[in-house]
Amino acid sequence: MTDSTLKVAITKKLNHFQLDVDFEVKSGVTGIIGPSGCGKSMTLQCLAGLQTPDSGEIWLDDQVLYHSGDRINVKPKDRKIGYVFQNYALFPHMTVEENITYGLKGKSHEEKKQRADDMIEKVQLAGLEDHYPEQLSGGQQQRVALARTLVTEPELLLLDEPFSALDYHVKHILEQELIRILEEYYTGTVLLVTHNMEEAYRLCDHLILYDQGQIVQSGKKEDVFQRPATVRAARVIGCQNIFPVQSVTEPGDHLVCKIGDLNLQIPSQPVPEAVDHMGIYAENIHFKKAGDDTANLFDFTIAESLKGIHRTRVTIHVENAVSLTASVPNEEVDSLSQEGVKVELPPSHLFLLANR
Amino acid sequence: MAEGINLFPLFLSFRVALTATLLAFIIGIPIAYYLNRSNGRIADIIDTFLTLPIVLPPTVLGYYLLVLFGRQSSIGRILEEKFDITIVFTPTGAVIAALVVSIPFLIKSARSAFAGIDPALLNAARVLGRTEFNIFLTIILPLAWRGIAAGITLSFARALGDFGATLMVAGSIPNETMTMPIAIYDALLAGNRDLVNILVLIMTVVSIAVLYIINRLEKKLNKGQPL
Repeated sequence: MTDSTLKVAITKKLNHFQLDVDFEVKSGVTGIIGPSGCGKSMTLQCLAGLQTPDSGEIWLDDQVLYHSGDRINVKPKDRKIGYVFQNYALFPHMTVEENITYGLKGKSHEEKKQRADDMIEKVQLAGLEDHYPEQLSGGQQQRVALARTLVTEPELLLLDEPFSALDYHVKHILEQELIRILEEYYTGTVLLVTHNMEEAYRLCDHLILYDQGQIVQSGKKEDVFQRPATVRAARVIGCQNIFPVQSVTEPGDHLVCKIGDLNLQIPSQPVPEAVDHMGIYAENIHFKKAGDDTANLFDFTIAESLKGIHRTRVTIHVENAVSLTASVPNEEVDSLSQEGVKVELPPSHLFLLANR
Repeated sequence: MAEGINLFPLFLSFRVALTATLLAFIIGIPIAYYLNRSNGRIADIIDTFLTLPIVLPPTVLGYYLLVLFGRQSSIGRILEEKFDITIVFTPTGAVIAALVVSIPFLIKSARSAFAGIDPALLNAARVLGRTEFNIFLTIILPLAWRGIAAGITLSFARALGDFGATLMVAGSIPNETMTMPIAIYDALLAGNRDLVNILVLIMTVVSIAVLYIINRLEKKLNKGQPL
C-alpha cells in the first residue's frame, strides 16, 4: 500500500439540489464535512461505485474508475476501495472471523485464516473470533468493520460517519483507537465523512467543506477552520457570529472595518472584492475590565443567556451596532455584569468573509 | 367403504402439496427477489397479478386454469401434443392448482424478508468484492431464511388444504385425482360420517405434525445466528 491520489470531478442530480464537486485528495486523512444531506455520503457512494454519477470522472492514481465520456464505470467489487459504513454493516449471521475473511477471495483457506488472524491480532479482537456482531460492543464492532476492510488492502479507505452510531462516552476513546489503527496499519489515502466539526478537526489533516452539493472551501484543517473565506463556509463550520460590514479601509498598519457606528480593527491582509461580512467564533469573544490598552474593546448589554453544562451562551448587543453570541465559562458569567467590564473582539480572531 | 380406509387421498394430497411447494420455492424466490429490487410499474403489475389468487375465490381461479390449460386452449393442446402432458383431470392439474393458490404466500413472505435486509449489508458485500449471485447465496438467503421458511410453511398449508381450484381443474376421480379435502366432502355427501371423522382427524394430526416439524427446523437453522 502506498500513497494514492484520488481525483474526482462528478455531477449528480439529487432530490433538492445538484451534487457538483471537483477535488483531489492525497495521502493522509481528508474529511468531507457539511450539514446532513449535503451530498457527502453520496460522494462516497459514487467513489465506491455503489451509486453512478450523472457525469464526470473518478481517477485513483492512473486507474480510471468512472468516466462518463468513455462510458467507463468499474464495478464496486473491482475498485480496490475500502468502505466502512455508518452502522458498520457487519454481517449479523457471520462470526467475527467470517466477517473478516469475507473480502478475501481467491485465496486458500489457510492463507485466509492466516491473514484474518493477523488482522484480528492487530485490532485487538483476539478471543472474539467466534462471536457474532450482536454480542460485541460498539467499539468492537467498529474494529471488526475496520479489520474486514483493511484485510483486503484497499488503496483508498472511505469512512462514512464512523462515530455516529456510538454513545457519547465511548466516542473519544474510539476516535483515538481509529487514529492508532490507521497510523499503524494503513498508509493509503483516507476519506472521512462527518457532520461533526470537532470530530473532523481531531481526525483529519485536510478538509473539504460541503454545502448543498458544492464545495465551499477546502484545504488544511487549520486554515479552513481559522480562516473561512465565505459566509457559506463560515456557516458550515458552525461559526455563530456572521455580520455585515459596511466598509473596510486601511488607515495605517491595520485594517478598519465599519459595522454601523463600530470600528473594528483587524491585522492587515489582502481584502477580496466580494468581502461584505465578518465572523468570529463565540469562544473567541472575551470580556475584560476597561482600562486595558487593548484593541476592539466595546460597551455591551446582555440580551439573553442560556446556561450549558460548562459554558453559557450569552447574546449581547455591542454598542447598538451588532448582536453577537459569546460562549462564556459558567463561573465567569456573573462577572460580565460588573461595573466597567467590556467586550473584546480580538483582532486576530476576526475574519473577513466574502458573500459567495 | 366400510372395508377399511382408503389412504390414497392422503398420500396424493401430500404428494401434490410437496410438489407444489417445491415448485413455488423454485419459481417464487427469484420472482420475490426481482419484485424486491425493482419498484417500477411493471413490478407493481406483476405483484397485483400474483396477489390475485389470494383474493379470488378458488373456483374462479380453477375456472381460469381450466380455460388456460383445457383441451380447447392452445397451451393445453401444445402441452398434450408436444410433451404428452395432460393437465385437466390429472394429478398434474392438481399440482398446478395447488401451486397457483399457494405461491402468493411464499412470494409475499420472501419479498418482505428480502426487503427487511439492510441494503448497507449488500453494499458492504459488493465493496468487499463479491458478485451479485454470490451475495444472494451468502448474505440474502441466510438472512431471509426465517421469512422464507414461514412462506414455505404457509404455502404448503394452503396447497394441502385446497379444495375449490383442485376440484375444478383435477376433478374428483377416486384413486386418481381425489385429494383429502375432496375425499372428505365426498364421504360427507355419501353420509359416511365415520370415514369423515377419521379423514378429518388424520388431516388435522398430520397438518399439525408438519407445521411443528417445519417450525423446529426453522429454529434449528437459526441456532447460533442472532437476529
